[in-house]
Amino acid sequence: MNIPILIVVVLLYLGIMTALMVLGYRRTKTDADFMVAGRSMHPWIMALSYGAAFISTSAIIGFGGAAGLFGFSLLWLTVLTIVVGIFIAFAFFGPRIRRMSYNLGSDTFSSLLGNRFQSKALATYSGLLIFLLMPAYTSAILIGGARFLQDALGMPYTTSLLLLGIVIGLYVMSGGLRGVMYTDAFFAVVMLIGMASLLFGTYRAVGGVIAGHSGLSALTSLVPEGLVAQGHRGWTSMPALGSKLWWTVVSTVILGVGIGVLAQPQLTMRFMTVKQPRSIYQAILVGGIFIFFMTGTAFIVGPLSNLYFYQTQGQISIQVAQGNIDRIVPIFVSSIMPNWFLYFFMLTLLSAAISTLSSLLHVQGTAFARDLVGTLGIGKLIPGASTTVWAKLGIIIALAASIALAYILPANIIARATAFWFGICAAAFLPTLVAALYWPSATKTGALASTVAGSLASGLGYLLLHEQEAVAIGLASRLLGRATLLPFPWTHIDPLIYSLPVATVTLVAVSLLTRKPAVQHIENTFRKVA
Amino acid sequence: MGMQDIWVSAAWVLSIGSAVGCVVYGALHWNYAEDEE
Repeated sequence: MNIPILIVVVLLYLGIMTALMVLGYRRTKTDADFMVAGRSMHPWIMALSYGAAFISTSAIIGFGGAAGLFGFSLLWLTVLTIVVGIFIAFAFFGPRIRRMSYNLGSDTFSSLLGNRFQSKALATYSGLLIFLLMPAYTSAILIGGARFLQDALGMPYTTSLLLLGIVIGLYVMSGGLRGVMYTDAFFAVVMLIGMASLLFGTYRAVGGVIAGHSGLSALTSLVPEGLVAQGHRGWTSMPALGSKLWWTVVSTVILGVGIGVLAQPQLTMRFMTVKQPRSIYQAILVGGIFIFFMTGTAFIVGPLSNLYFYQTQGQISIQVAQGNIDRIVPIFVSSIMPNWFLYFFMLTLLSAAISTLSSLLHVQGTAFARDLVGTLGIGKLIPGASTTVWAKLGIIIALAASIALAYILPANIIARATAFWFGICAAAFLPTLVAALYWPSATKTGALASTVAGSLASGLGYLLLHEQEAVAIGLASRLLGRATLLPFPWTHIDPLIYSLPVATVTLVAVSLLTRKPAVQHIENTFRKVA
Repeated sequence: MGMQDIWVSAAWVLSIGSAVGCVVYGALHWNYAEDEE
């Protein structure tokens, strides 16, 4: 490692980050600045911030490594993240969320749902879900970031964890959403350069697109027997239809994350930060390219690493990584890219971790201030304290919970916690959010029942049915004497697949049976929305 | 495309195609009407 170059690069990086934090701090004067960046953010900053908040280190390292094991089939998640996570989210959800939040004076995801359905219970329940469950996802990202600092800089794990947490906490509290989005945009540019360079470097290392794909197709006989038994049919083929691997790849990875992205509170918040709907349409241009180079690169580089390692070392990636899929991408990058790039790639991964963490902490802080303190009347405990003060307190609590969880949670929790959070969000929030934006006749009872039913169905699915979590938690074995409530394929079907329909049917059925919202409220809510 | 499976080839093409589609869509809506307030 060239220490002088590393020091210069890191100092330059920290200098730019600090300058942007100070800029965010200076421009944050009101509650609206802190909560929704004054609703005046530039479209490209919004798009880059959305992308950087979405893509964490685990998405690059964890999912890239998973693609090294499972193959190119994971590219369907890239298609979904672009089509659903960018196009549908920005073109169909974004403009309506922006306008409706303005009409209703909402500045958090939960307060948007609560005000839209005139339901304090819905705002409080949604805020509670975010504030209580999101620390698990936050701590997973924190663990990934701290482990990365530990490996890259040789720092002790505890020091890495505390340093990362405290630095991010301080700048989120000082600059609010403005500071978060300015730094996110910088991180996104670093990530874009790093991942685009890696994609081109990988195809060059394996002899080009067709040669690389064909060479990898020829290695099918090298797939480990255990994976073949689960349905693996080669790195350039989909798993066998209906096999264990097919259900995991399709229901958990592709659909779970690809649909779950639509209902992520920290991402939907971004639409409230721009002044005009055309800013959101303009942002699609940047968002699509960014997500392609993030997830697309991870899912192309992972599988092709098998070909490169076989040609150079006579082994496939999982053998080179000694069974740890999280090591596939780092080992591959250090094998094919020049030394100077390794420093840049280190900053790429650090940027991915910090940008996601800062967004998660901000959304937890604002959920605490607006949706819990505001709706439950706790604000009276500190007379005169503004929403921003309560949000900062919420950020401190969320950060402390996340750091504590990072010590308690097991080592292999990162991917599981991510899938768990995305699954819960989709089941609890997506039908209600769609109804809020597109179905004026949906009722508050229907929305509340759907959010509760979706979160319960999803939670019970993880506790009792989905093998990966149910076995780790152990509730089914204590209650029923067996690992899961039902046999395969339920053990491998992601809870999203059944909890989302449960929430949708509940929403429609209860809305049809309960009292419609007042006409005046609907007219005000949907003013200039369509 | 050198892939074994048409579904995987389709994913590779669609991932690039959808990113290009986003660029075209964003460009076409560049001058979308302002929301007067």
